[in-house]
Amino acid sequence: MGEGSNVVFSIFGILDVTGEVITMWIILLVLTLLCLIVKRNLKERPGKFQNMIETGVEYLDNFFEGLLGKKKSRQYFTFLASLFIFIIFANYSGLIPGVGLTDYVKAPTASLSVTMGLGVITFAFLQFAGLRCGTKHYFKRFVSPMFFMLSLLLLDEFIKPASLALRLFGNVFGEEMVTEELYHIFPIGIPVVMMVLSILFCALQAMVFTMLTSIYLDEATELE
Amino acid sequence: MTSSAIIAIAAAIAIALSTLGPAIAQGMTAKSAMESIARQPDAAKDIRSTLIISLALMEALTIYGLLIAFMLVAKV
Repeated sequence: MGEGSNVVFSIFGILDVTGEVITMWIILLVLTLLCLIVKRNLKERPGKFQNMIETGVEYLDNFFEGLLGKKKSRQYFTFLASLFIFIIFANYSGLIPGVGLTDYVKAPTASLSVTMGLGVITFAFLQFAGLRCGTKHYFKRFVSPMFFMLSLLLLDEFIKPASLALRLFGNVFGEEMVTEELYHIFPIGIPVVMMVLSILFCALQAMVFTMLTSIYLDEATELE
Repeated sequence: MTSSAIIAIAAAIAIALSTLGPAIAQGMTAKSAMESIARQPDAAKDIRSTLIISLALMEALTIYGLLIAFMLVAKV
């Protein structure tokens, strides 16, 4: 299940660092450098590079605005956009040649631990956002419309992040496995077909994850 | 039959059945979404986002089947 990842080295003897963690560090480094480079010379009239980044951010802004409305999307934009950017980079890192062949670099989202981690973050954020809209409102959500719905709604709250995590993991892991199998059947040319499809699916999965997160967020912070 | 043969057949059935159901459902969903877009092109944007969400939810079922199949294959 993608859990047989080998430990590359461990910090202080207890924190085991696997290939996924190293890849995530690289992704974080790349994103941080990108941010610093963009931030360094912001201009009123953007150059080519700044224009490109601005188009991407504007696209994300419109995407969340369509789902959440103007006010909420501005409020939660940082979280949702960071989630989207991280997941799409993590998904695409699996397409770089050589990633996944060694123990040192592996696509992070092809491991259940990473996607479960993202699910837990989403879960915590949903509870936090719900509580911030008022404690009474937060608890009322579990017993509306009827009291006996309580157990079902409580269960639903835990199933949401688990299904998000499993969906992302299954898709990315499945793609990698199919590509690998195709590689074993015929190494030249054929795996490219699946990799081209992966380009589409990776973006789609990142979109679906954030889209569902924002819909759950909309539900959690709805004030009637 | 040996037990590994039975496990292999079980994996095949798991992925086959869990592909069949969602495939039919996704086809029906896409069909009605396209019909509604053709009838009302103005609402295309809303329909598209709802379509993607519902397709993703159905896709999850297939993925669960795929995971089970992988788990079974690992036991052969």
